[in-house]
Amino acid sequence: MSEKPDKRIEELARREYEEAHNFDSSDPLFGLRKEELRGPRMTRRAVMRLLAAAGALAFTDVLAACAPSAAPAEEGEAAPAEAPAAAAGGELVCGWAGTNEIVTLDPAQINQVLQFQIASNVLSGLTHINADMTAEGDLATDWSVSDDGLEWTFTLRQGVTFHNGDPFTADDVLYTFERSSNPELSIHSGVLANVAGVEKIDDYTVKFVLNKPQASFLVKTLERSSGRAMTIVNKRAIEEEGPERYGLFPIGTGPFKVTENLVGQSLVIEKFEDYYDPERPKLDKITFIPIPEPEPLAAAIEAGDVQLIGGNPPAAELIDRFLANPDLVVSEIPGPGFQSMWFNPHREPMKVEDFNKPLEELKQESGFLVRLAIAKAVDREDYINRAAFGRGFPAFGSINPAMAYFFDTEINETSEQTYDPEAAQQLLADAGFPGGEGFPTLKLLITPAGKREGEIIADILKKNLGITIELDIKDFPVLVEMYDAIDFDLLRIGSGGDYDPDDGLVDYFLTTAKFNGPKRDPSLPFGIFSEAEVDALIEEQRSETDLEKRRELVRKANKLISDKVACLFLNHPVDTVIWRKEVNYPDASRIAGLVDLDRATISA
Amino acid sequence: MTQFLIRRILVSIVVIWAVATLVFFMLRIVPGDPIGAMLSDVDPAAAEALRAKLGLDQPAYVQYFRWMLNTLRGDLGNSIYGNNQPVNQIIAEALPRTLSLSFLAMIIALVISFTAGIVSAMKKGTWLDHIVTFIAILGLSMPNFWLGIMLIIIFAVNLHWLPAIGYSPLSDGFWPWFSHLILPAIAVGAPFAAIIARMIRSAMLEVSREDYIRTARSKGLSARSVIFTHTLRNALIPVITVMGIAFALLMTGAVVVENVFAIKGLGRVMIQSILNRDYPVVQGAILIVSLVFVATNLLVDILYTVVDPRIRY
Repeated sequence: MSEKPDKRIEELARREYEEAHNFDSSDPLFGLRKEELRGPRMTRRAVMRLLAAAGALAFTDVLAACAPSAAPAEEGEAAPAEAPAAAAGGELVCGWAGTNEIVTLDPAQINQVLQFQIASNVLSGLTHINADMTAEGDLATDWSVSDDGLEWTFTLRQGVTFHNGDPFTADDVLYTFERSSNPELSIHSGVLANVAGVEKIDDYTVKFVLNKPQASFLVKTLERSSGRAMTIVNKRAIEEEGPERYGLFPIGTGPFKVTENLVGQSLVIEKFEDYYDPERPKLDKITFIPIPEPEPLAAAIEAGDVQLIGGNPPAAELIDRFLANPDLVVSEIPGPGFQSMWFNPHREPMKVEDFNKPLEELKQESGFLVRLAIAKAVDREDYINRAAFGRGFPAFGSINPAMAYFFDTEINETSEQTYDPEAAQQLLADAGFPGGEGFPTLKLLITPAGKREGEIIADILKKNLGITIELDIKDFPVLVEMYDAIDFDLLRIGSGGDYDPDDGLVDYFLTTAKFNGPKRDPSLPFGIFSEAEVDALIEEQRSETDLEKRRELVRKANKLISDKVACLFLNHPVDTVIWRKEVNYPDASRIAGLVDLDRATISA
Repeated sequence: MTQFLIRRILVSIVVIWAVATLVFFMLRIVPGDPIGAMLSDVDPAAAEALRAKLGLDQPAYVQYFRWMLNTLRGDLGNSIYGNNQPVNQIIAEALPRTLSLSFLAMIIALVISFTAGIVSAMKKGTWLDHIVTFIAILGLSMPNFWLGIMLIIIFAVNLHWLPAIGYSPLSDGFWPWFSHLILPAIAVGAPFAAIIARMIRSAMLEVSREDYIRTARSKGLSARSVIFTHTLRNALIPVITVMGIAFALLMTGAVVVENVFAIKGLGRVMIQSILNRDYPVVQGAILIVSLVFVATNLLVDILYTVVDPRIRY
């Protein structure tokens, strides 16, 4: 399914996707009937509507939910048949790619996807969405909502115990809320900003009161994995053993419990015998080993030492090799994010004093011409083929194809940045550097991990424009300081986890954005990019409740930052999980971004 | 001897203190801020609060004295990252892995180098000597991470004899421990085997020209006796020096191989913490490494007296 989804499925997904966005935005229940919002299960339609209303529904989510199977098809004989569900029991070893260590599993501190992928197997929330896009009660068995959409009452599951034997009751929900809404104790307190309070009705009933109706409340805030704010924690364990130990050995009510944690070496979770669902988990024991280097990671899964790869997406150069291996199953979906190269607007020869001028006027300035020439000179396809081994999508804006509703399908053709080497050479000549003559050597600030990509950018620009780019390789902390102080010529950075248009726009392109030169020399009038119309559009789309209108605003802002070369957009990434064929990883568990292993089995 | 030992230990303490102090202040000069490295996303007020909590808002000398005092009490502080693990614990976890790897690598290096060195010295100029020399140069010029990957591909992926990656502590049994470590140990040990083999060869050749060897031969001792008790023993002094340095280098020099085999040893702890500007961990790790360096040197000096009784302190 990684290559080309069936046209019919795509059409079906598109219809579902559009349907999800079709409601009156002033309705506190988001166009859903009260019964549809009730537990213990919510239909796919209701979940999609809620996600859509929260601006968090990605087209790929719908597509994945529509796809009949996660197994790769069509490749004929090479495609392995997925293992049939094996009997319960057995051990699974997972390689966690691209990381040296799993730093913490405390939901209050988790700040990486590769951490909550594991935490989701150990801790529970009130609800959990499966790959089918239906929300199921996790620790809640039932729930209902008031007419104004402000009061949510949950019936909690009875007879649930924590890994340390404590019973789960309404007090644990209250404790989790208290802890997570305190900014000193949790980095996710902002997620709960709209929750006015939580009341305990009795031991197994709680009521959440919201300030405003919030579509994302049920599917994001209460979701056990990505939400993290309301992932239920155990008071006694935190108070008696301290938050440090809790980060290593979190006590939850999840299907597995952590039994060994040697940070940076291995993490072991074992079947929790008293889990509330006697059917799950299937596996007895799972070991996670962080494997930072790509080649050993590949060797480990090829040799069968590890049977599944999760964590960060494995290095792109390995994917073709994995696809060709009949022992492996490769599951790929578009990832939300973008890679980009930024220009220092305060340095020659790419100086721009005022981005507010109309485009035609900017095109009279040599600094802007240089930026545009470079942006037009990079062949995205060529770049993706060489830097990411063909795994990725050309980018011309910060809005990624995983957000299909907001994604502008035309932008690849309409952006000023569209690849055109002759036009780029002409622009550079107009700027006073015909054939790259007299053009100074520019330094591209990049992390050691990005070296390869940097070299390819430099090579493409040398070939197409005759200009020289040198790499300035700096460790991440140094790079961040230089980025914040705008102390660079060129800079390559990327963004990940952009599920909502806000993620890609607000953090980078607002004049007041947090990444827009926060530590720059105060004499500089603006940071890296500042454009009044873009600011206005971004602000407007944030508060626009009509989705179609919002889409227009988002696309307009996206087009403008692309045309005015706020940065050079390179590519959007791909999200990947790989397992050996002896592993049965059921479709119900293939949730975008997660690695839920409670239903997985392994045949000996 | 006792006097020498006391003097050496005192000097060692001064050296370790100087290294620790230098590292402490150099770390704070290096650009990059631990809080900034943690998250590009932290809001400024929270960052300030964190800085205060960690004592990073204090002047460097205050931080220094505080750290020194705690270190003297045996407390190396806590990591700035994640769960603020105690540095003592991080090191206690990583040190056995590194020591296991270093010892095994050293044993492999010694077995190979002594065999190769003695053979090529005895058979100087023959095809055997040339082959040994060739292999030694090969061993020296192969980057150890590449050798490691080759070993994984051969022994783990193709032959399925040994695990490709990971570590298993000795307490889980000898074979799991050994099978996980043998490939990385060969990868780190090979270059040292090559160096020491070349060293033994040239030292033995030099010693074999000495008068006392001629005397030994002429009084009718067996070739075996001449080689092992006379030539080799006298050739050992420079070899021991190199071994000492090699062992100390193995402590932190194995980081690339540690990454290849997904083993979190002291080298990786150090590199990772330097990249993160995790001051307490860097300081603690370097303190331990300098301790090992100094101890190894001392041991080498003592070994001299064992090997060559003429040496007295």
